[in-house]
Order: sequence, then C-alpha cells, then structure tokens
Amino acid sequence: MIRIVTLSEFPPDVIDFVTRRLHAAYGMGCELEGEGEIPNAAMDDEQSAYDAVKAVDDMDDDVALYADDKILYLTAEPLTAPAGPMGRGPVDGYAQYGGGKAIATAHGISDRGVPLEIGLAKRAAHYVGHLWDLHHCFDPRCAMHPGWSPGFAAYPEVALCLFDREKSERKIKLGST
Amino acid sequence: MATKSQEPVIGDGSLHIGDRVVYPNQGICRITGVETKHIAGQNWEVVTLSREEDGATVMVPKAKVMGIGLRKVADVAAIDRVFDELSTPNLDPQLDWKVRHRENADRMTGGGLFGTVEVLKGLHALSRVRPLPQKERELYDNARHLLVGEIAAAMNIPLHVAEDNLDYALWPPEGMTRKGKALPPATLGPPSPARAAVDDLGFDDEEMGAEETTTTAAAPAAQESDDDEEEKEAAAPAAAKKTAAEKPKAAHKPEHAPPRREKPAPAAAKKAKTAHAPAKKPAAAKKAAARKPAPKTPARKPAAKRPVAKAKAKAKR
Repeated sequence: MIRIVTLSEFPPDVIDFVTRRLHAAYGMGCELEGEGEIPNAAMDDEQSAYDAVKAVDDMDDDVALYADDKILYLTAEPLTAPAGPMGRGPVDGYAQYGGGKAIATAHGISDRGVPLEIGLAKRAAHYVGHLWDLHHCFDPRCAMHPGWSPGFAAYPEVALCLFDREKSERKIKLGST
Repeated sequence: MATKSQEPVIGDGSLHIGDRVVYPNQGICRITGVETKHIAGQNWEVVTLSREEDGATVMVPKAKVMGIGLRKVADVAAIDRVFDELSTPNLDPQLDWKVRHRENADRMTGGGLFGTVEVLKGLHALSRVRPLPQKERELYDNARHLLVGEIAAAMNIPLHVAEDNLDYALWPPEGMTRKGKALPPATLGPPSPARAAVDDLGFDDEEMGAEETTTTAAAPAAQESDDDEEEKEAAAPAAAKKTAAEKPKAAHKPEHAPPRREKPAPAAAKKAKTAHAPAKKPAAAKKAAARKPAPKTPARKPAAKRPVAKAKAKAKR
C-alpha cells in the first residue's frame, strides 16, 4: 500500500488524480492517509528551502507502516539536498532507496508548463519508483527519467517504461506481503 | 565445521576485517571474517563478506581474493575523477554490438571503477542515438546501480543524492557547471519504441480531462497501434470480426501490453471472452479434424452401444 501524507494544501481532485496514477503505475493500493507538517529543523542554512533528506528522516508522524508499505509526503515547498560532487542542482524530491519514505514537491511545476496534477503525479511515481529500487531511466517518456530534463514537460503522461515496470513488478512480488 | 582465525592477511595485505570493499558485479560488501571450511574433504580458507544492500553472505576462497577483482571502496579523489569523466560528453558510441558486448563484459567482470564508468557512459551515449536492447538495458541498470552504490559509500551521502549527482553530469540541467566550466544542458533523447504498447493506462473514461494533455505526445504511437490492430483484424476469421466489431474495446484490450490494473470489470471480461473465442475455435477445429479422420463406417463403434441405438430408433418410431 502506498500511503500519501500531504504537507501542504492541495485540491482534492489533484490528490485523487495522483492516487489513481500511482495505483495504475505500480498496481498497488494507494490512499490519502492524512496531513502533516515539515519539521522546522529541516529548513536549510539559508532559510530558503527545506532539506529533503532531513525532512524525510526527521518527520514525526504516526502513520503505521506494515511490511512493504510506502509512505509519500507531498508538499508545495521548495526542497534542497546536501551538496554532492557536482554541487547543488535542482531538487524536486527525495526517496530512501529501497526504503519506506519519500517526499515530492509541487514547487516549480507550473514554471515548466505542466498541469499541477500531471506534474505532481509524475514526480510522485518517480519517487515511489526509487522506493522500489528503480534507478533513473534514459527513456524521456518514463516517469523515472530525471525530473529536470526536457522529457518531463515534453511527455507529460504518467507511466513507467517496460523495463522499469517489469523490475518494479519483480520487487513488489518479492515483497513480504 | 568452521573455525575462526585471528588477524589474518587478506589478499595482498591491504584488506582487513571490517573494511568496505567492492565485489565485481555484486556491489558494496563488508569483510566480516576469515574462516576455515571443510568442503568436499578439503579444508578451505574463505573470506566471508556481507553484502550491504541486502545482508547476503558471500564466501571467497582466500587465495582468489585478488584474482576476482575484490578491491577497497574508491576514495574521494577517485570519485572526483569519475565525475570529470562523466561530465565529458561521449559523442562516439561503439555501434558494433559484438565489440561493444565483449568490451562491456570485460569491464564489468574486471570490477574496476573506471571500467564501470565507461560501460555506463558508453551505453548512455548509445541510448541518446537509439533505444537500448533488453540485455544492454539491464547492463546499463547494473552499471548504474554499482556506481551509485560506490559513490554513496565513498562520499558518505545518501544513494538518492549520489544518483542525482551522477545524472547532473550525464544530463546536465540548465546552468550546471563542473570545475567552473559550463556543461551543455541535456536535450531530449529518443523515446523507447516499446512505449507504444504500454502507454494506455486505461483511464479513457476517467476524470479531469487529462486526455487532452496526455494524448498530444501519445497520439502517433496510439495511431500506429490502431493500424496494427486493423491489420490483425483483417486476417481474423469473419466470425471473430463480427463480435469484435460489436465490442471493439473489449476485443482490443488484450492485444496491448498490460497496464497494471487490478481486475477487469466482470462485464468487460465477458466481452473479451466472446470477442476472442470464435477466433480460436476454427483453428482448433481444423487441427482436430486433421488429427482424427472422421469415422466412415459404423463398424468402429463398440458393440455394446448397438442395442442402445436400436432402442432409441424404436422409440422414435
């Protein structure tokens, strides 16, 4: 089961759209679990965005996760991530690879000319994919394609490529539930 | 029977118990010990490793540790060189699949960091020209998995941050620089051809007018698949045609690769059955007819049945 927790206000039809698309992409149940707040400690040093890694790790929620349940936080706040070897780049979410928690933001979707519900659903599918150990994909139409590339706006459908679909199916079948 | 020895020398002496190492094609492991195992009448000294990803135990004969390419996790300086290499565009991918396959297999078996980088970079460059075949797609994913794991382990950063950074080099976003030099932003690559069969998520009848936005990109692919189906329909027997024409949706759905949906509605399932059944029947009937010639004489019938047939005939009269 994929459980969604909203950390900002979203129109109900957008959340409904996201849950349906996640269900279609992974074949798992998906439902809105409730609302929450990003911990203030996750604010980065410049006080301009939330550190996505800290936000997920320090999130204080009482959502009960059973076996391979996944929890996805949706926010509209800007996110950032620790600097890596390439410095800082665009960040639209974070996922614990092979773990249980991920976060995706709606920030910046409108700037790319993509409708909110489609952009958010695509990002949600992307980060849930990382929870199932999927890596980035070179196919620009796949939801696992990097979110900053031109494929995000050029192919707005929310779907996985055949390879990622099969890989996620294998992972889900091996899951303890 | 296993016995533990203390402070053993592993490989050339550079590896110690507790070290994080890279096992070729397996990923990051931690050396947990050296044990003596009694196997097939012989005593073998084996180095035991625990794979960090899933905790699986790997045992390697001590004498073969260096031969299989076991090595320490790369240091930060090596990772820095990896990103220098990744951020240099590869404009000349190997197009000969035999050469490419042999080179990539050697690099992956060798287990070197830069060998993995070359595999990933080469296949990435090829994917910008044309979609990768299945085996190379798997190899691309394996190389990426190994590299992301090693970068994360070497830099002590989360796997997700490591992969994002890897792709900042491969698919540079607007304004990305490497050591003060601006990288050319990524352009749109070719989509995979297999997508045509997967695109339909089955939300045709659903809400929010998403079709208007999504069909713009998917329209050519959908049209192609429609054309294919028309050809198939033309070849099908006339009986199948009639039922398929009555229920076009139900007849078409099973032809597509399966978008994941839980259970089809019972009505749709029935329609699908009715649409497909007649198409199969004539072929099956023909085969059966070819195998079993029709009985010509009643002499083959078992004798016991004759009285029954006679009795029936009498009853009719």
